Amino acid sequence: MIEQNKIDSIISEKGRTRTALIPILQAIQREFNYLPEEALRRVSETTDIKPAEIIGVASFYSQFRLAPVGQHMVRVCVGTACHVKGASQVYDSLRRAFKLKDGQHTDLSGKYTIEKVSCLGCCTLAPVVQIDHVTYGHVTSDKADQIIKDFENLKVNKNKSLFRKVDGTEILGEIRIGLGSCCVASGSSDIKDAVENTINQSGLQVKLKSVGCVGMCHQVPLVEIVPVNGETTLYSKVKPEDIKQIVENHFKPSGRFSRLKNKFLNAIENIQTDQKWNGIERYELDIREKHVSSFLGKQFPIATEHRGLINPLDLDEYQQHGGFLALKKVFKEFTPTKVIEKIKTSGIRGRGGAGFPTGIKWELVSKQTSEEKYLICNGDEGDPGAFMDRMLLESYPYRVIEGMIIAAYAVNTREGYFYIRAEYPLAVKRIRAALEICKDNNLIGNNILGSGFDFNVKVYEGAGAFVCGEETALIQSIEGNRGFPHLRPPFPAVKGLFGLPTLVNNTETFAQISFIMRDSVDRFTRIGTEKSKGTKVFALAGKVARGGLIEVPMGMTIRQIVEEIGGGIANGRKFKAVQIGGPSGGCIPASLQDTPIDYESLNSLGAMMGSGGLIVLDDTDCMVDIARFFLSFTQDESCGKCTFCRVGTKRMLDILDNLTQGKGKPGDLEKLEKLAEWTKKGSLCGLGRSAPNPVLSTLKYFRDEYEAHLNGVCQTGKCIPLINYSITDDCIGCTLCVQRCPVAAIHFQPHEKHMINKDLCIKCDACRQVCPTNAVVVG
Amino acid sequence: MVQITINGHKINVDEGTPVIKAAEMAGFKVPSLCYNEELGHFTSCMLCLVKDDSNSQLIPSCSVTATEGMSVTTEDAEIREARQTGLELLLSEHVGDCQGPCQVACPAHMNIPQMNRLIAAGKFEAALKLVKKDIALPAVLGRICPAPCEGACHRRTVDSSVSICLLKRFVGDENDLYPFEPLPLSGKRVAVIGAGPGGLAAAYYLQLNGYQTVLFDKESCAGGLLRTNIDPELLPASVLDKEINTILSTGVIFKGETEIDALFFQQIQNEYDAVVVATGALVDEIRNWGFITHPKGIEADRNSYETSLKGVFAIGNTLRFSRMSVRPIGQGKEVAWSVSQYLAGEVPKGEPQLFNSRFGKLIYQEISEYLKESVPYNKVSSDQANSNGYTQEEAIREALRCLHCDCRDIDNCKLRDLSGRYKANQTRYAGNERKAMTKHFTSSIVYEPLKCIKCGICVRMTSKYQEKFGFSYIGRGFDVVIGVPFNESVQSGLALTAEIVARACPTGALSVKD
Repeated sequence: MIEQNKIDSIISEKGRTRTALIPILQAIQREFNYLPEEALRRVSETTDIKPAEIIGVASFYSQFRLAPVGQHMVRVCVGTACHVKGASQVYDSLRRAFKLKDGQHTDLSGKYTIEKVSCLGCCTLAPVVQIDHVTYGHVTSDKADQIIKDFENLKVNKNKSLFRKVDGTEILGEIRIGLGSCCVASGSSDIKDAVENTINQSGLQVKLKSVGCVGMCHQVPLVEIVPVNGETTLYSKVKPEDIKQIVENHFKPSGRFSRLKNKFLNAIENIQTDQKWNGIERYELDIREKHVSSFLGKQFPIATEHRGLINPLDLDEYQQHGGFLALKKVFKEFTPTKVIEKIKTSGIRGRGGAGFPTGIKWELVSKQTSEEKYLICNGDEGDPGAFMDRMLLESYPYRVIEGMIIAAYAVNTREGYFYIRAEYPLAVKRIRAALEICKDNNLIGNNILGSGFDFNVKVYEGAGAFVCGEETALIQSIEGNRGFPHLRPPFPAVKGLFGLPTLVNNTETFAQISFIMRDSVDRFTRIGTEKSKGTKVFALAGKVARGGLIEVPMGMTIRQIVEEIGGGIANGRKFKAVQIGGPSGGCIPASLQDTPIDYESLNSLGAMMGSGGLIVLDDTDCMVDIARFFLSFTQDESCGKCTFCRVGTKRMLDILDNLTQGKGKPGDLEKLEKLAEWTKKGSLCGLGRSAPNPVLSTLKYFRDEYEAHLNGVCQTGKCIPLINYSITDDCIGCTLCVQRCPVAAIHFQPHEKHMINKDLCIKCDACRQVCPTNAVVVG
Repeated sequence: MVQITINGHKINVDEGTPVIKAAEMAGFKVPSLCYNEELGHFTSCMLCLVKDDSNSQLIPSCSVTATEGMSVTTEDAEIREARQTGLELLLSEHVGDCQGPCQVACPAHMNIPQMNRLIAAGKFEAALKLVKKDIALPAVLGRICPAPCEGACHRRTVDSSVSICLLKRFVGDENDLYPFEPLPLSGKRVAVIGAGPGGLAAAYYLQLNGYQTVLFDKESCAGGLLRTNIDPELLPASVLDKEINTILSTGVIFKGETEIDALFFQQIQNEYDAVVVATGALVDEIRNWGFITHPKGIEADRNSYETSLKGVFAIGNTLRFSRMSVRPIGQGKEVAWSVSQYLAGEVPKGEPQLFNSRFGKLIYQEISEYLKESVPYNKVSSDQANSNGYTQEEAIREALRCLHCDCRDIDNCKLRDLSGRYKANQTRYAGNERKAMTKHFTSSIVYEPLKCIKCGICVRMTSKYQEKFGFSYIGRGFDVVIGVPFNESVQSGLALTAEIVARACPTGALSVKD
C-alpha cells in the first residue's frame, strides 16, 4: 500500500489539470523511485486527467519507470563518444558483474538496476558509467568489479563537508574550480572539498571560486590558480591529493603563517586519509599542462564569453563583465521593431540545427495580434554526443536569460518557459536559482528595470524524449501530452503553446543575442560566412587529442577544428571522418576536411549543423557500425506516430543489424537506400526526415565498407560477430589474460604461449586490454 | 472561399478545408487509414500524401489545408510508390491472415473457415451453398482431393489439421439441393469442350451466369477421368452421377460421343460466342487447332485463361498436367468469370484477386490465443469416413476445431483494399523477428493488437466518448501498443464504445464478433 496522502499532497502542489501531469509524475517517481499503478490510479481519481492520458504520457517518456527498480541506478552512457570508445562492452561487462540473465536489469539482491542512457554529457570522459550521482569516466570492460567496489566504499565513507563561504576581502589570490558537469563528474567537487579544507585549516586568505565550464573538458578536473601577483596557472586532471602540492607551490605560508604550518600539513594529511580517493584508474594524473593556448586561441567566444572567468550564479560578476548591458540598451534605445530589425540584419540563424533565420521568426511572432503569446527556450538537447546547451545553461544562465528577455520584449510576450531535459539536473538547478536572483534584482517580473515591461519565466523539466527537441513535440510536452509532433504549418509562431503564438528558440540562439545587441550588429556580421553569421558552439569529442566544448566562427574548416583545436587524432591513428550533427547529421570523410562549417556546406554533403555534436572518428572506427549506432538511437527515439519513421527506421535498423552480424543478403544495400529515401520523404517531422542521414552519408562515402560487411568482413574489427580474438607469438605466458577472462576461454599455461578457445570467447576485449605485449589481436 | 487546383481541376472550397476533402469534392478520392471524419486528422499513416505542384514536395493531404492558389496532384508514379512503400511497412508488422491459410492454399480458394462455422452451427444447407460458390463437385472432391488446405491449416501446430476434406464431403453428401438458381438466359452461347472436372465446373458457373452452355465430350457420359481413372470404391459412380446431375440440371446441354477435330472446332468457334477448352492432357490433335502451345500445353493467360485465339479460353490439363482435380475445378469457376467479362465486352481478367496478408506458422505462445475460439480436442476419428463419412454430430464436433484464422473484417478492411490497389508486397521489408499475436474478447468485439497500424482512431474515439479507461498508446516508437490503462480488460476499456470503435478501425485489429 502506498500512502495516498503523499500522492494527494503532490497533486495539491502541482495542480489537477493536464499541464500538471508530467510534473506530478516526476514528483511521484522522486518519491517512490518508480510510478506505482496505485499512485497513478489515485492521480486519475483526484484530477481531471484520465487514465489513458496518464498511461500514455508515463509510457512515452523514458524518464518514467512503471516497474520498481533496484536501490541504485547504474547508467551506462551509450552516447556517440562513449560508443566509439567501447561502451557496449562496458555495458556487457557490468551485466556480467551483476550476473544478469537476458531480459533482467536488476540484480538478484535488488540493489542495482542497470540501464543504457543516450548521453550523460560527459563525452570527453568516455566511456562513462554513472551510479546514482557518482560518475566514472574512462571505464574499460575489465573494471566493472572495481567500480562496484568503489561505489560500495564511497557509500560508507562519504565525507560531505559543507561549502564554506570564504571571506574574500583579504586574498592572496583565487583558486578557480570548474563546476560544469564534466568537471563535477570527474571529481571536481572532491577537489573543491580538498581545497576548502586546506585553506580553511591553514588560514590561507585565498578565495575559492567556482567557475562554469571552460570548455576544456578533456582536461578535467581543472584547477586554476590566480595569484594577486603573478602568472595564472591552470592545472588539469587534478586529484585531491595533489591539492597540497598545488596550494603550497603558489601560496606558501609566509612568516605569519609558519605557526600554522604544522596544522596546515596535518590538515592535508587528514584530507588524504579521511577522503580516500577511490577513483579507480579514472584519470591519468601526471600530465599537467599550462593553459592550452591553441585550444582556446582559435575560438571566438560569444555564447561562452568570459569562459572560466565568471561564477555562473554571481550576478554582480556577470554584470561587471558586461552582463545585462544589452538589455538596458534595448530598453533605453530600441523599440521592439528596432530590435527585430537588428536581429534580422545580424543574419543570426537558429542554432538548434535547421538554421531558420532568427529575426524572421521573431518578426512572425511579433506580427501576431494575439493578446497573449509565449516564449520558450528549447534546452531539450538530446543528441548523443552533444552538450552545448547543458554547458550554456549551467555556466551562463544569465546570458541565456538576458537573451530571452530581449526576445520577449521584441515579440511582446510576458510569459516564458525554460524547457530543460531532466537528465540535466545541474542545469535545472542553476536556472532556477538564476531566475530567483533575477527576480530579486528586478530583472524578471514586473516592470523590469523600470522599463514598464513585464516578463515571467517558468522552468519545465523534460522527461526524456529526444523528439521533444522538435518544437511542436516540445509544446505537446509542456501541455502534458505525449510528445507527438504535428505538421507545420501552422507554425508555433502562429499557433503554438495552448494554441497561442509562441516563439521557440534554442538555448544557444538566446545566448548569442546579448552580444549582438550590446556590441554593434556589424561586429557580429563580420564573424562567419556570408550566409552563416556568428559563431557555433560544438561538443568536440571522439578520437581527437583534446576534446571539449568549443566555440568557433562559422566558416572554419573541419581540418582546422580537428588539427588546430582538437590537436589532431589521438594515439597516432589516422583521421577517417567526422560525424557532425548527431543522429540528424552525417559523416564527412577526411578527404573533405577542408569543408568550411556552415549551414549550406554541411547540407550539401549530406550532413547537418544539427545542434553541434562533432565526433571525430579514426581508422579503427567502422562506418557501418557508426550508421547502425545513430539509427538505433533515432529508431529508439521515434515517437511512433507516423508510418515511415516508426516502421521505416526499424526496418533500416534490421538491415544494419544483419550487416553488422554477418547476416547481410544481396540486395540489402539497395533496400536500405530505398527505405532511407522514403523515410526522409514520408516522415512527418524532422526526426524521421533526418534519421536516414547517417546511413545515407556513410553509404555515399564508405560504400566499400558496407559491401565488405555483406561478405561478412569488418575491416576495422568493430563488429563483434564478424571478428575473432587470438594470441600471437608475442605472448610471454604471463597469464594476465587468463586471470581477466570472465568465461575461462583461455587455458592457464604459465610461461607458454596462450590460446583462446573461440567457442567460449565472448569477445569482451578484457584480455587485449591487459596484455602487456599486445599479443592479443582481433581479426 | 479559396480556389485550389486538384489534378488540374479548379475548385472553390471553404478556407480551412483539408486538401483531402477538397480533393474528394473535386472527385478524387485520396486514400487514408488514420483520417476519420468525426475525429479529424492525425497524420499517422501517411498514405494520403499528395504532391504540392509548386515545389514537388509530398504533403499529407489530411493535415494540410487548402490555400488560395494551391495546386496538388493526387496520384502519380512517385505518389503510388510512396503509398506502396507505406503499406509495405505497415504490412511488415501486420501479424494476421486475411483469408485463412487453408483458403489461400485451396486451388479453388474455397471459403473453408466459413464452411466450418456453418457446419458447426448446424447450417448444412447454407454450408453447401457456400461451398458450391467455388467448388462445383464437393462430394466428389471430398473423396479424392489430396487436400492442400489441410497442409496449411494452423491447427496442425496445435495438434492436427481440421479434417476439411471430410467436412466438405459431408456437406456434399448431406444435401441434395441445387443451391443456385441460374440467371435468366442472356441469349449468348458458350461451348465447353471436355466434360471432365474442369469442363463440368466451367459449364456449371457459365450456365448460372445466364449463358446457354453446351458441354461436348467424346464419351457418352460426363465425368472424364473422374469416371475412368478413379477406383470406384473411392469414388462410387452414384456420387459422381449425383453431382453431375446437379450441374446438368441447371440447363447445361450435354453433347456426348462427339469427337472434335480442327474443322469442327473452327465451326464451334463460329457458332458460339465463346469457347472453353477443357479437353484434358494435350494431344497432337489439339496442336492443329491453331493455339500457340508449348511442350506442356496450350499457352493461356495465367489469370484469365484466355488463349491466343479470340474468345477461346483453356483450363485444366490442357494447360499443364496436374493430378489434383481441385485445380481444374477451381479453374472452371475462374474461367466463368473471364468468359462473362469477355461477353460483357470487358477485358477478361478472371476472378478478382484480393490482397492476402499472411504471417506463416503459429508460434508456441499463439496456440492458446487461437484456442480461445476453438475446442481443445484432437481430430474427430475418421476411421469410418471412407465408407460413410462423418455423421452430423461428428461433423459438428470436427468443424468446431477450426481456429477462425480468417479475419472478421476481411470485407471491410481499408488496409487490405489499399494493399491490393497499390500492389503491396508484404514480405519486401519483412523484419527480423515477429511478435506473438494475442486475441482479446469482449462480449461484442475482438481485439487483435498485432493487426493494429497505430492510427490512433480508437484512442481518440474512446477519449471523445468519455470512456472511463479507454484505449491509450502504451510505450513509444516501434514498440508502441494500443491497450487499456492499468492492465484493465478490453471489456472495461471499451465499456461504452466497443462497437463504435470496432467499426471505425480501418483494419481487422478491432472487429465486431460474428
